[in-house]
Amino acid sequence: MQVKYSYLDQQFAEVEAYFEDLRKLVSSGEFTLGPFVEAFENKFAAYIGVKHAIGTNTGTGALILSLKAVGVRPGSEVITVANTFIATVGAIVAAGARPVFVDCDERYQIDVTKIEAAISPKTAAILPVHWAGCPPEMDKVLEIAGRHGIPVVEDACPAVGAKINGRFAGTFGKVNAFSMHPLKPLNVWGDGGIIVTDDDKAAEFLRLYRNHGLLDRDHVEIWGVNDRLQPFQAVVGSRVLDTVEGLVEARIRNARIFDEGLKGLESCIRPPRRPAGYREVYQLYLVTASRRDELVEFLVGRGVEAKVHYPIPIHLQNAARNLGYKRGDFPVCERQADEVVTLPAHQHITEEQIGYTVSVIREFYR
Amino acid sequence: MSSYTVPYSALATEAALVKTELMRAVENVLDSGRYILGPEVAAFEREFAEYCQAKFAAGISNGTSALHLVLRGIGLDEGDEVITVPNSFVASASSIALAGAKPVFVDIGDDGNMDPQKLEDAISDRTRAIVPVHLTGRPAKMKDILEIARRRDLFVLEDAAQAVGASLDGKRVGSWGHAACFSLHPLKNLHAFGDGGMVTTQDPDLVAGLAKARNHGLANREQCDFWSFNSRLDEMQAAMLRVQLRHLDAWTETRRRLALRYNDLLRPYVEVPDEGPGEHCVFQTYVVKAERRDELKQYLIEHGVEALIHYATPIHLQPAAKDLGYSAADFPMTMRHVGKILSLPLYPTLTHAQQDRVVELVASFYQ
Repeated sequence: MQVKYSYLDQQFAEVEAYFEDLRKLVSSGEFTLGPFVEAFENKFAAYIGVKHAIGTNTGTGALILSLKAVGVRPGSEVITVANTFIATVGAIVAAGARPVFVDCDERYQIDVTKIEAAISPKTAAILPVHWAGCPPEMDKVLEIAGRHGIPVVEDACPAVGAKINGRFAGTFGKVNAFSMHPLKPLNVWGDGGIIVTDDDKAAEFLRLYRNHGLLDRDHVEIWGVNDRLQPFQAVVGSRVLDTVEGLVEARIRNARIFDEGLKGLESCIRPPRRPAGYREVYQLYLVTASRRDELVEFLVGRGVEAKVHYPIPIHLQNAARNLGYKRGDFPVCERQADEVVTLPAHQHITEEQIGYTVSVIREFYR
Repeated sequence: MSSYTVPYSALATEAALVKTELMRAVENVLDSGRYILGPEVAAFEREFAEYCQAKFAAGISNGTSALHLVLRGIGLDEGDEVITVPNSFVASASSIALAGAKPVFVDIGDDGNMDPQKLEDAISDRTRAIVPVHLTGRPAKMKDILEIARRRDLFVLEDAAQAVGASLDGKRVGSWGHAACFSLHPLKNLHAFGDGGMVTTQDPDLVAGLAKARNHGLANREQCDFWSFNSRLDEMQAAMLRVQLRHLDAWTETRRRLALRYNDLLRPYVEVPDEGPGEHCVFQTYVVKAERRDELKQYLIEHGVEALIHYATPIHLQPAAKDLGYSAADFPMTMRHVGKILSLPLYPTLTHAQQDRVVELVASFYQ
């Protein structure tokens, strides 16, 4: 049996409705920001329950701009984790700041007990990641940040639809970033990002900065960038947004079936703790496994496209050399880099495919 | 729908001509399941490089990011200077600031492009690069600029955002400097249906660096060699751009024919953009220099012709440039142009009747 990691061909098997929308876009000639982008922004803001949504070209762009909007400048420090996609950290550097890492917990999320020790007078933001689509302990993050008067920016890139006690990811920090990359829960047909905030001044800055600092066609208020959401992707995103709750529910259902199926194998492979009140969207279905590399090879050999996100923690990447970290600085993160495996558990995976995957895993550990 | 009888642009009309081809290109990407840096981007890069008579091309998310990434790639330190012109779109200068250097402006010549005579005076011991702009689709004086750059050992980045297909002495823009940046914004001659950009170069190391820089500094899925961000050309846009590229020569020819027709008909009333010796212009904008420009613009607009100014405020006088310390007196030729330039509607689907209407209005204004 084949269990594929990507599901895009299935998700977009019926494209006529999308094409209908795209033909309208092509006929409108509105290819730079404009009504299609605006309509999507409003729809997304209403979904998350925030005042402003500002579309950007990519999730990385959303992170860079969010950091700038809360005042991160050259010379600043920004606190985040080392077990994330490289873009989280690339964004900090692009905003001119120095990344400061803290270790993660057994849920693969920022260890809130380690944040305080990482704060310095230069800390300009705390950037917790909803890694794999799972919210970190945001109440604790907010409490610490509030005590020190430091703004929080959520890297909610993988986490459209995630919630804590009914409250959406993207509503905890001051300015928060989402990605709409094809393998994210709310996905478009290429790159796309979106920033959400309730802060009017931040929103005003973001709309200016993403479009060359142009107040209007003739007036440049600040040096800006071109980081605009593409109308083409806004049109696609708008239609996917109509389906996103269903997609998330399907992912949650599949994750539960998987968790259940892995019971009894805890000594070899186990899902993380899943505390009540946290709605994970399982952008990645991550579990911890012993003899991980062998397991991945075994699964792939049996047609199950398992992956590793990611084998090298960011503080040990070539790019991080001049930050002065070394192996041993973040023991939990480093151990997880050797143990995590991502199993295909997306919305198009069937119960039968999950059953097959579990049986292959059982066979491996027998 | 536009309320103008002669609108400034006609993107919808142009797109309608190739809509079926475009939708087929989109469908091909969907069928491939490759949405990011797939075969369409790779194929478009090859085709675009060939079109520009360059060895290599790299697809970037937009023209501004293309400038930013190339400048960042040459390793600018704070206090380093990069020279460009003040009469361009703001991105020519903001990309320099974004890359961490100081934009230094040099005045333009009568052709509206960088004046090589004044270039030498603008060079200091902190100068690292020169960014000549091929404004409106007219090639800058690349031979003189390159000669100066060679003497002073400076990097030359062509800002060819508006000039795909333009050439000087038969050699296309994008093949002259160490690298060149193109915009594929909807109002460009070769355009995406959204944002897009390209870099061309003859330098294999430069293009290899860009391949990483546009994709988070990643050497492969797992290894990050340097901090960067995401500035990828969209696969969907690349697929649609390949359709557009197949029509580009025909569209450029039509544009040129219409521009030269404008030149003949408007010559009695305004200063028209004649091509200089060896220049092959592509007229991304058709810009005349007119007396009583503001009144003429108003008159045209009131009579249904959408005329624009590119650009009404030069970059050195923008609020964003305050800290650079320039004043209006610094660039006399730029200021002379700024007071007179007017962009008239020009695109492949512009009809002779529409063009005649523009000419008739200009004539009646000056009568």
